[in-house]
Amino acid sequence: MVDDDIPSTVATSEEDLLRVEDLETRFFTEEGQVNAVDGVSFAVRESDVFGIVGESGSGKSVTALSLLDLVESPGRITGGHIWYRNADLAEEHRERTPEAVDGDFVDVLQLSEGQRRALRGPSFSMIFQDAMSAFNPSLTVGEQIAEAVEVQRRAEANPRSVRSKTQGYGLGSYLSGLVLPQRDFVNRQSKLEAIELLEKVGIPDPAERADEYPSQFSGGMLQRAMIAMALAGEPDVLVADEPTTALDVTIQAQILNLLKDLQAETDMSIVLITHNLGVVARMCDRVGVMYAGEIVERGTLEDVFDDPVHPYTQGLLGSVPDLDRPGDRLHPIKGNVPDLIDSHMDDRCYFADRCPKAMERCLDPPGERQVGGEHAARCVLVDGEYDESEALADGYFEGSTAGDAAASEGSTADAAAEEATSDD
Amino acid sequence: MSLAKFLVRRSLQGLFVIWGVVTAVFMLRFVTPGSPVDFVAPLDASPELRARIAAELGLDQPMYIQYLDYLWGLLQLDMGYSYISSTPAAARVFARLPATIELAVAATVVAIVFSIPLGVISATNRHEPADYAATGFSLVGISTPNFWLGIMLVLLVSVQLGWFPTGRRAIGFWPAVQLIWQEGTLAGIVVWLRYITLPAITLGTYFTALITRLTRSGMLDELGKEYVRAARAKGLPETLVRYKHALRNTLIPIITILGLQLGTLIGGAVITEAVFTWPGLGTLVIDAINSRDWPIIQGSLIVIGAGFVIVNTIVDGLYAYINPQVVYE
Repeated sequence: MVDDDIPSTVATSEEDLLRVEDLETRFFTEEGQVNAVDGVSFAVRESDVFGIVGESGSGKSVTALSLLDLVESPGRITGGHIWYRNADLAEEHRERTPEAVDGDFVDVLQLSEGQRRALRGPSFSMIFQDAMSAFNPSLTVGEQIAEAVEVQRRAEANPRSVRSKTQGYGLGSYLSGLVLPQRDFVNRQSKLEAIELLEKVGIPDPAERADEYPSQFSGGMLQRAMIAMALAGEPDVLVADEPTTALDVTIQAQILNLLKDLQAETDMSIVLITHNLGVVARMCDRVGVMYAGEIVERGTLEDVFDDPVHPYTQGLLGSVPDLDRPGDRLHPIKGNVPDLIDSHMDDRCYFADRCPKAMERCLDPPGERQVGGEHAARCVLVDGEYDESEALADGYFEGSTAGDAAASEGSTADAAAEEATSDD
Repeated sequence: MSLAKFLVRRSLQGLFVIWGVVTAVFMLRFVTPGSPVDFVAPLDASPELRARIAAELGLDQPMYIQYLDYLWGLLQLDMGYSYISSTPAAARVFARLPATIELAVAATVVAIVFSIPLGVISATNRHEPADYAATGFSLVGISTPNFWLGIMLVLLVSVQLGWFPTGRRAIGFWPAVQLIWQEGTLAGIVVWLRYITLPAITLGTYFTALITRLTRSGMLDELGKEYVRAARAKGLPETLVRYKHALRNTLIPIITILGLQLGTLIGGAVITEAVFTWPGLGTLVIDAINSRDWPIIQGSLIVIGAGFVIVNTIVDGLYAYINPQVVYE
């Protein structure tokens, strides 16, 4: 039995590149505090693909944004650690901020804002669901990729100076760049490199396409261009937030293949956020299943897909049609994801109200339990079989809790995040 | 369609609009009571004298002849003669044009220089004191009538503090610039600035407030978009995220508003010109209306209308140039 008060620890490995521990991201909205990411822990190995799966509103996108420190007001990362292995960075901070350094690992969340910003591009990069909205409509695609190249070039030119990477380019520099072409942020060299990147991601006639605007690209081509933009900084970790959801199926396969090829070539790690289990099966080495802001089960792809312990994981897998057995009924999970508003959340297993195997023990919050090897789950079923005599009565949660309230309000963590950026 | 072709087509449309303005302005004289002869002829004029005056002014002709005559004259920039001073109307109207354009442009410059930074500061410091100050200013600016603002500025800044003159225009912009080369002195420009500052602030305040609000809300809108997040994700300096990415897209709709407003400023400066006795088209029109000096009224209105059309055509071209998504159709 695992004591619930002990924070979950991540099995550390020599190969870990990123260790996320007890990450908490909250949104402080008018309806209340939304716990979009509520104590998430996972590790990403070097040149590995880590998948985060879950329904809409489970907090996966906010997790992705938290990794890059892109959470915007009223959201805030309120706790946890993001340990990132980078010997140079660790050396740089060992003297000044010893508490942020552990061996070769640096806790990104304990660095200053400018230092964290400097990691974007060369260390962490991100691709988004909808390429059409991730490109600025009034700048050419080539220009926007060249910007990313230029960020990387400046980072390499001054590896130790955070200032030169970020603050060094102020309003004065921008205004003089408008008048004097040689003072422009993006120079000829980086534009040429942008064209090379476009070629690398398989865009025909890259030199001509670089001068076109995003609206002149097709969805699949623009997705490729966005990957080129994210790769310009040669990142160690690429966070891909639903990279294929907006594309049609044949293009999806192309984009996934492209990501795989590029990963093999560059040795980067990928954190892949998706709700598509097929994509996970195809791409990922390790998986975390997210529900209501928590990772409820994680392990290798085989652990989670072949031997799921958590009823939620079982439910997710059960709601995918099996082509080998046509005619079988699908088994959707009843109910909805809770709205994650703090005051609506009881202190219990958040899935209990939808769980077919809910027991009295589930009314205490379950800590994470080791199933074996890297496989872990936040479920009492790890400790023992389902016991029908302890089962909660049907309708036990009705009218009292999160799931139904969420369904009626339709407000979820992702929705809260969106509201947060678009209100006013 | 190319930009050149687009501009040619817009210009032809503009000419059509100007023709409409001319026609409407011409008709105006026939729907207002009283004959111009009443204002030109002495009070005790005999019917013969009145008939002779009417013939001299061409008022005895049928309306369509007068109309065609007027159009023909306009093509040669002949707007007839002022009923009051007997000088060519075109000369008087065009003599007033530089003052009006200077004031409109100066007010627009005041607006751009203050409003866009204010709007950006406001948007990037949302719900902080700087934001409240900027939104408070723009609310006051939008609600202040400019005749009141003009009078207050004259009373406080000119009369009490004596920093600026109370009105009039001592020198034109162009003569002031010529002084720089010819005499090598900036004195002309300094004088010009001293005279135009208060009228430009008076005329530009509403405009500044309006653009501040538009910039703030546009900027907030743009900063919430995914491409801003993507720009940050690739490590772009915040300066570039704000100004190169977000502000650029914010300015696209604002340029249209700027154009429309500049057009209205050309004709709409009447009150400000009156407060500061600024010798522009506005004061000319008011004087001409008071004395029923039709050639001057018509000429001024046509020039104001044409100015509006020209400014908007230029803005449309500029807009198409800045915004790559515009298809020239």
